[in-house]
Amino acid sequence: MAQSAPDTARKYDLGFARWVYENVEGGDKLSMCMQCGVCSGSCPIGTEMDHGPRKLFMMIRAGMKEAVLTSNTLWNCTKCYRCVVRCPRGVPVTYILGGLGTKAVEMGYVKTEDTVRFSKAFWWSAKTFGRTDERLVTSRYHFSGGFGEGVKKSLANLKIALGMFKAGRLHLGAPHKVKGTKNLQAILAKAQEIEERAGETER
Amino acid sequence: MEERKPGVYLCRGCGIDEAVSVDDLEQVAGTELKVPTCRQHDCLCSDEGVETIARDIAEGTVNQAIIGACSGRVMTDRFQFNGTSVIRANLREQVAWSQPAGDENTQMLAADNLRMGIAQAAKTVTPEASAEGETSSTILVCGGGITGLSAAREAVRAGHAVVLVERSDTLGGWAAQWSKRMPFRPPYRDPQDNDVAALIAEVSGNASVTVMPDTVVTRTEGSPGRFSVTLSQGGAEKIETVGAIVVATGWRPYDASRLGHLGYGTSPDVVTGVELEGMLGAGPVQRKSDGKAAKTVAFIQCAGSRDPDHLPYCSSICCAVSIKQALQIVEADPEASAFIIFDELRTPGTAEEFYRQAQEAGVIFMKGKVKGVDADLKVVYDDELLGDDIPLEGLDMVVLATGMVPNSTNPEAAAAESGADQLVDDIDPEAPIAIAGYKGGNGDGAAAEDAAQTPGDGGEDGNGDGDAEPALPGGPILNLQYRQGPHIPILADGFADSHYICFPYETRRTGIYTCGPVRRPMDMAESAEDAAGAVLKAIQALRNAGMGASVHPRVGDLSLPKIGLDICTKCRRCTVECPFGAIDEDENDYPILNPSRCRRCGTCMGACPVRTINFDNYNVQMVSDMIGAVEVPDEFSEKPRILILACENDAYPALDMAGINRHQYSPFVRVVPVRCLGSVTMLWISTALEKGFDGIMLMGCKSGDDYQCHFIKGSGIAKERMEKVGETLKSLMLEEERVAVEEISIADSGHVPNVINSFADRIVEIGFNPFKGF
Ligand SMILES: Cc1cc2nc3c(=O)[nH]c(=O)nc-3n(C[C@H](O)[C@H](O)[C@H](O)COP(=O)(O)OP(=O)(O)OC[C@H]3O[C@@H](n4cnc5c(N)ncnc54)[C@H](O)[C@@H]3O)c2cc1C
Ligand code: SF4
Ligand code: SF4
Ligand code: SF4
Ligand code: SF4
Repeated sequence: MAQSAPDTARKYDLGFARWVYENVEGGDKLSMCMQCGVCSGSCPIGTEMDHGPRKLFMMIRAGMKEAVLTSNTLWNCTKCYRCVVRCPRGVPVTYILGGLGTKAVEMGYVKTEDTVRFSKAFWWSAKTFGRTDERLVTSRYHFSGGFGEGVKKSLANLKIALGMFKAGRLHLGAPHKVKGTKNLQAILAKAQEIEERAGETER
Repeated sequence: MEERKPGVYLCRGCGIDEAVSVDDLEQVAGTELKVPTCRQHDCLCSDEGVETIARDIAEGTVNQAIIGACSGRVMTDRFQFNGTSVIRANLREQVAWSQPAGDENTQMLAADNLRMGIAQAAKTVTPEASAEGETSSTILVCGGGITGLSAAREAVRAGHAVVLVERSDTLGGWAAQWSKRMPFRPPYRDPQDNDVAALIAEVSGNASVTVMPDTVVTRTEGSPGRFSVTLSQGGAEKIETVGAIVVATGWRPYDASRLGHLGYGTSPDVVTGVELEGMLGAGPVQRKSDGKAAKTVAFIQCAGSRDPDHLPYCSSICCAVSIKQALQIVEADPEASAFIIFDELRTPGTAEEFYRQAQEAGVIFMKGKVKGVDADLKVVYDDELLGDDIPLEGLDMVVLATGMVPNSTNPEAAAAESGADQLVDDIDPEAPIAIAGYKGGNGDGAAAEDAAQTPGDGGEDGNGDGDAEPALPGGPILNLQYRQGPHIPILADGFADSHYICFPYETRRTGIYTCGPVRRPMDMAESAEDAAGAVLKAIQALRNAGMGASVHPRVGDLSLPKIGLDICTKCRRCTVECPFGAIDEDENDYPILNPSRCRRCGTCMGACPVRTINFDNYNVQMVSDMIGAVEVPDEFSEKPRILILACENDAYPALDMAGINRHQYSPFVRVVPVRCLGSVTMLWISTALEKGFDGIMLMGCKSGDDYQCHFIKGSGIAKERMEKVGETLKSLMLEEERVAVEEISIADSGHVPNVINSFADRIVEIGFNPFKGF
């Protein structure tokens, strides 16, 4: 059925689960979840999530729309696919989290400005070097909001940066590159062309 | 009877010859006990070995074969000689396989087992069939629901005529009202058409079935093969003779008016699963309050089930029933939403497929316990995974999945004048004890079923106020004219007597078998299967009654208790303690046996204070003589003797199995198999103590509410009697610990050696019996 978009005025919304089943990518399979918790138990970054996947799915059934769509679970999922591989009921957990994220953005539950700036920095590095350079991506992102904010954000992350440096995860000097960045750029240009040709795309 | 001509046959095979000196055993039989015929063979169960015995019998030199070989539980088909009594002395499982080879103690054990066998033979007579008169092959089926209809169909297929008695004016019971049926055929996915009408047509159209609607049984007399039942059809009475009875009186829904906390009664839109069935049958489901379509429906599972204040048990069907109903709702109207709030969803077997189907169809399952439902249909449940109270608002209808209450009595009939006490305890009507799920009884009674007491359990009337009034409403279903009262005994939670696992259809009234939800909750497919099982039991009962033979567990046994009325004191113990109501009292208050009700357990024999009840092949003197035949060394030999009276159904096989697994245990035990611990008489205990035995252990099945006793009450009664033996021991200045009762199941072969050894250790600690040698 065409369940209308969830009622935002209430904390619990009876129609939310059906709406998710019918409108979110992979949601049609979510109904098969039997609350076993294999997904949450398998998740390598479960401790960094507001809610494990199982709990999030129970929140969907309980109609807790706002809490679901603002949960950091949607963003902290690293797309490792462990849960998808292991779910005994064939629930595509990763897709559903992604799908919920898309809906959260569409429906204005997520402030995207920051995310957009980060994505731009990330994309610049990927396109230019064929890899992400932690140092350049972060500084580019930090300073994208102006000099003052850049200094503030960089200082706040100093400790992490030092730790990463010690562990050899951050290096000074010229950024690492893939071989044949020219070819990469040609590939990307072609991809862009195809995408444009295909016209309107979803994402 | 003709002169006894015993013959002893000793086997040297299966390790016996290596473990003991068979020649010495032959000496015991021939020289010491003067048995005229003694033979040995390398493999007694071979054709040649069997032929040796058969030849002696044919030549007339032997009419009792005492076989010293394997356990009496095996090779029974080999060692079977028409009309000749066969006695088995266990030299294999309980000697050669459980004791060290070549040891002095092993030899002594073997010799004693042989002595006991020879003593047993001297008191055994081969029982003869005592079939009395005509028997009926008609089966009475009480209750015309799916269970009763299935029973009727199965009975007819097996060639038996059926009288089908139904209290209401229609057949089919509850199941006839269901709009759809849970799937019972592959792929077990969708609700199926209800086919009860076809079953009704098949059964009522069958010439061998006499369908009697509007009828109840008002009286049942007699015994298997010849029950005389009075049927009252709208007040007009008629008497039928039937061979056996199948009780399929089904269930009734739990009284939802007790579920006010779940909103029942506060809003007309809170309905039970049974009520919803009627609505589903009538077309698109509409709210009772305003006739509007029910678009969002929540099902509350375990409504009053698995709740100590209501029904303490799981009705096993309501999870699948709600799935069925939710599917019907969402499939009929794609705009509808169905929520099922469950604590645990119980979808055993193929019902799991059904659960998945409902999930795929978008039925929403939520895990938690419902805390309340208000008049606006707001359901609040405690979500176990979210750890929070979650409200469900905006529902159109709430369905309570209520459970099944067994019709083990007839609530539409007045309570019987006598016999209400029987429902809570039929060992001693003076001393009712509580049974799980029932508030009846004051709990201060006999201790035989002490283990069964579960104080604080809610009754099916569930008012939880702990009053002592018997909670079970209604009159008896069959109104049995038995000494022990009119009811079919009831077990835990109000379900009719049956052992769920070991012997499901057996009741304590031989020839009467219960099936369907009256004995445990089940769905239609299970009920139909259950009916087939009960009918097979009924057929066996009426056929064996015709042959004068016993049914479960001593199937085919022709022996019967013979009551010597000359010294009977009319104490009534036998009539009261018989677990099967087989003994009534005659007009002069003397016990009178109804042979085909008897299961040959010997509980009456164990009960009789003047020991005037005996069987041809199992009697008080026989076991006393067997005990007396054991050689008890004096205390200076440092060889204690422990008597084990082992139930032949579970404990004895467990001992055999210990041997098969080569578990060793104390060589000082002497094992006598008994039919049931209920048959153990005090005389055997005192005989053993006088003889110089240092300890006595009774090994039998579990007693109590979750009994495993094959004669239901035998082991419980034994336990109760043994509590009193402690006093006797004390008065003899003997330690109470010398007599112990142990519960041993057939699966205990690994454990039984420890039980024996630690008892033997305890006896050594206490010291030798001071009566030794007197
Ligand atoms: C809401 C609900 C829906 C269900 N749906 C399904 C389903 O879809 N599929 C499924 O497999 N199971 C279902 N079940 C379970 C199913 O109803 C039972 O398994 C079935 O009814 C058992 O049949 P029965 O004949 O033993 O009992 P009953 O249906 O109770 O029949 C007993 C019969 O005996 C009669 N009777 C009672 N006492 C006496 C007496 N003293 N003398 C003479 N006659 C007597 C009664 O009048 C009745 O006709 C459902 C249960 C519920 C609660
Ligand atoms: S693993 Fe699958 S079935 Fe289990 S909780 Fe996660 S999503 Fe549900
Ligand atoms: S079948 Fe389900 S609803 Fe019914 S009592 Fe059992 S667990 Fe509860
Ligand atoms: S042997 Fe058992 S069943 Fe038979 S009359 Fe005695 S106590 Fe009853
Ligand atoms: S127990 Fe023995 S004495 Fe008592 S009534 Fe029965 S037969 Fe008679």
